[in-house]
Amino acid sequence: MSVILQSSSGGSVTLNEPTTASNFTVTLPAATGTVQVSGNMPAFSVYRSSNQSFTSNTISKIQFNAELFDTANCFDSTTNYRFTPNVAGYYQINAQSRIRGTSSDNKILYIYKNGSNYAAMDNFALSIEYFAISFSQVIYFNGTTDYVEVYGFSNGSNTTFLGDATILFTSFSGSLVRAA
Amino acid sequence: MNLYEKIIALYPSLVDADFIPSIGTITLQNDSDNKGDYIRAWNHPSLPMPTQEQLDAVK
Repeated sequence: MSVILQSSSGGSVTLNEPTTASNFTVTLPAATGTVQVSGNMPAFSVYRSSNQSFTSNTISKIQFNAELFDTANCFDSTTNYRFTPNVAGYYQINAQSRIRGTSSDNKILYIYKNGSNYAAMDNFALSIEYFAISFSQVIYFNGTTDYVEVYGFSNGSNTTFLGDATILFTSFSGSLVRAA
Repeated sequence: MNLYEKIIALYPSLVDADFIPSIGTITLQNDSDNKGDYIRAWNHPSLPMPTQEQLDAVK
């Protein structure tokens, strides 16, 4: 038996029973909140498909131009290279890049929220020409205007965000972990 | 010649450390919007931020 919830706006939500001969129990928490189903949980995974050079000593946005998936069409992979989720809540955001510079330089990877530095990770005291940086943050988004981007920095020469036809080197992903 | 190189040409006393975030006092940025590199922050204690005219004059 299905249960249909009629909306005052004219639509409805139908709760369907599963096809089963066994008995199961779903317990709803004694709390106020939004039920999360796949349709309101945006998730994305994008990457840089080829090398992207950038100016030494200049914090530069990574152009994630290839999408593995983008369930709610919230990632712009052609113009602004940013994730602007359409559901308010807390998202786990992951960023990684293999940055090329010189062995003695500083390499930094940033997550920018709404155009400003939100979090960063660097190569600390490691001296290496190619360095892979990866880190994650859980970030709140308002579901309308908030967005995130990834920037990188190196003060060496031959400064490059390494790309690849797979998701191997420079990638950016995230998904909703808790609705607002 | 990029923006960093122009600034170094104007102020030869500057070094890489002046541009390293969290260490230096000058932040250059590029937003991948086809507008190129720009000065996001200039907090150098003695050197004034160069004007666009000064930067354009550097060849």
